[in-house]
Amino acid sequence: MSTKGRYMFAVATGLESSDLEGQDGLDGNPLDVVEHRGLQAVVCDVDLDEFGEEPVRQNLEQLAWVERVARTHDSVVRAVAARATVAPLRLITVCLDDESVVRRLEQWETPLRAALERIEGCREWSVKAYAGALTSDPPDGAEALVTTGTAYLRRKRQQSDRRQQVDREAAETAEALHVALAGRSRASRLLAPQDPQLTGRRDRMILNGAYLVALGDEPTFQAAVDDLAERHPDASLEVAGPWAPYSFAVLEIPDDS
Amino acid sequence: MSDITPTAGRGYSPARDAGGGPAPANLADILERVLDKGIIIAGDIQVNLLDIELLTIRIRLLVVSVDKAQEMGIDWWRHDAGLTSSKRELENENEELRARIAELESSSGSQRSRARKRS
Repeated sequence: MSTKGRYMFAVATGLESSDLEGQDGLDGNPLDVVEHRGLQAVVCDVDLDEFGEEPVRQNLEQLAWVERVARTHDSVVRAVAARATVAPLRLITVCLDDESVVRRLEQWETPLRAALERIEGCREWSVKAYAGALTSDPPDGAEALVTTGTAYLRRKRQQSDRRQQVDREAAETAEALHVALAGRSRASRLLAPQDPQLTGRRDRMILNGAYLVALGDEPTFQAAVDDLAERHPDASLEVAGPWAPYSFAVLEIPDDS
Repeated sequence: MSDITPTAGRGYSPARDAGGGPAPANLADILERVLDKGIIIAGDIQVNLLDIELLTIRIRLLVVSVDKAQEMGIDWWRHDAGLTSSKRELENENEELRARIAELESSSGSQRSRARKRS
């Protein structure tokens, strides 16, 4: 028989034992709650043949494996978030047994409570902005036949100048959007923009922001998004969520600068 | 309970496909959160997620090499102001160095030819 470990998905408060019914952990294993002074670690059994140090290193090389674990991780976190305040743990946090899980809860009790307090009653919203009309594509007719080296170089220079100007404008728009949205949320974070092949869009992502919004403030936040969409018709906004507060569940003091 | 409907509103588009409940979130969106965010507590199993940087994941999702990705125009990291400016500096420096090497080579070359003539 292979050795088992305990995979930790998240730490929650206020979770009832019936809340996790119908939600499996990894590999179809049932979820369990390991509790220490009201802090609840949501865990499931995993096989150390799969989640031990060496196997994990190899498995991380396989995107299909990473995807399966990531999707299950997120689905468990979502299920918990729907019922209780939850601080998601980073992917693949594995302890050897429940005693070890409890030791982690003991060791990190104070910062865990602080983190949970910060995100209580809030959800994370993702707002992405795309360059939309702010593209550096050459205007129609600019692709005229280039016959001389000088003309070629001149065109290159013009394209480069235009690209720089467009980049500047996009950066200004992104900043304006982010500042406005940050003003309507408890906390905010900037994530790296995703590349066009992954977004499936031709226009460039200029803002990938995460915003922690209190439930009661969601209508104002949405109104702010509507307002911004109207005031920046050249950018195209995309709202996604709610997410569990991944981007705000941190043990150190958040850096919102 | 108040709720934001991502599909509502003018001027911005829904993040999800229409029809039949919430579609599973985009894998890239999930990965950038579960790999890069969340509470970090060291478990008993040592895992180094830095081994799989998001860029690598992104490229792997496309199953293409970095060179191919650049060819296809996946070059967002080049738009990073810091990267771009330092790259430009490097390019300038490279150019200067190349010019200097050419200069040195031509002068040492003429010295050598002079030396050969003398011998």
